[in-house]
Amino acid sequence: MNNVAIVGTGQTKFSKDDGDVERLLFESTKNCIQSVENCESKDIEGVLVSTNNNSKYLGAILSETIGIQPKISHSIEHLCSSGTNALISGYAYISSGLADIVLVSGVESATNPGQVLDWDKSRGSFEHPIYWASMLTKAHKTKFQTTEEELAIVSAKNHKQAMDNPLAYSNQPRTISEVMNSKQITDDLRILDCSRSCSGSASILLASEEKAKKISDQPIWIKGIGQKTTSASFTKNNLEEIESTRIAAKTAYGMAKVEPNDVDVAEVHDAFSVCELMAISELGITDNDKSGEFVRNLFNTENRMINPRGGLIGAGHPLGATGISQTIEITNQLQGKSEKRQISNLGIGLVHNMSAAGTSSSVMVLEN
Amino acid sequence: MTFFEDQLKQGIFQISYCETCNENIWPPKEICHRCFNESKWKKSENIGKIIEFSKKDSAYFGLVEIDQGIRIMGDISSSSTPKTGQIVTMKVSFDSKPHYSFIVENN
Repeated sequence: MNNVAIVGTGQTKFSKDDGDVERLLFESTKNCIQSVENCESKDIEGVLVSTNNNSKYLGAILSETIGIQPKISHSIEHLCSSGTNALISGYAYISSGLADIVLVSGVESATNPGQVLDWDKSRGSFEHPIYWASMLTKAHKTKFQTTEEELAIVSAKNHKQAMDNPLAYSNQPRTISEVMNSKQITDDLRILDCSRSCSGSASILLASEEKAKKISDQPIWIKGIGQKTTSASFTKNNLEEIESTRIAAKTAYGMAKVEPNDVDVAEVHDAFSVCELMAISELGITDNDKSGEFVRNLFNTENRMINPRGGLIGAGHPLGATGISQTIEITNQLQGKSEKRQISNLGIGLVHNMSAAGTSSSVMVLEN
Repeated sequence: MTFFEDQLKQGIFQISYCETCNENIWPPKEICHRCFNESKWKKSENIGKIIEFSKKDSAYFGLVEIDQGIRIMGDISSSSTPKTGQIVTMKVSFDSKPHYSFIVENN
């Protein structure tokens, strides 16, 4: 099995404007290809597009737009974790030897149809994600004595960290008090606890070990991958846990031969404030009943270990691009290229991306 | 419109189940996920218990478990703050999507 590295990255700004997906895809792809000195478009053998957009045949459209005729091209949809699913598919093409260099591009427009899963009749008329998020938040407060202030700290921290991310959707700092007094959506959820669907695109170039060493002087290696789908319907879940994340993390750690306490930096799927608390617990970074305290400590000490680019809450959530943008952040952190938000002395990074109330999760362990 | 949706429109919550595996199949499907045989339909008892709840504007909503293990989201009518574990009765309807309503007993 071939080793696989990330050799190039490119993004667009995330925005609430309803962008044109083909244009956004092209922009992040152009930035990605230009980030690699010794690679030309014609070297790309696979083009995977991750999106929830209804546009058809985007893999072929992107290939034609950049003037290539790849062996492999297609789209990948898996709701909010489409991005990491596309990256892992790209990994599989390379590790199996079917391709040497694969472009993985994620894109979304702000009005994408990916937030509602019509198939899930168990949600009744409560189909918007705010309803399951309210259930998870209420259950977390009850079981782990999580306070509203602890939940607000997740959002305040991620908004603050997004201030140093020029591509983030949000450029407004939010205090704990502002979050706690922001518009009440339900008794258990405020508007600033929610990530926002937006437009944006993110692209990554993956390469086999042989190619990576030729075209990149700073390849970042994908050392561990774990994926798990426990169901499609929300109401199969136990409200106090995200089982798919726990299982995916165990698989990824095992493959990478690392432990949770080896993780130096992580991008986790904070679709809502409570999701960050649940994710860092299921990933083994802290315990469930200490997750609020853990995040408070990060905030007070200005430690950017969790969601340095601002997470989904601060950076925005263009569904098909999110997992790829998270992976770009960890890649750039491990390469020492994160400028104002750079964390020092990094060895191991982690990406956590999930779908539909945590019914499916992907975890990747990256190393420099 | 599916059989499940058509029945909801008539105020009936139908549960798909497998006779061979003796198991309810939820969300409703025409095949058993275990043995792949055609599923059968039975009417819900329309009684459940509250697993979790919250409130939007002045209306309660939440996750309710009916018929031993079927969990659904719906609105909750109660004259006082609901409690987890509380017994509710269910009413259903359908327009463009399913609507499940739960009424706290002894209201």
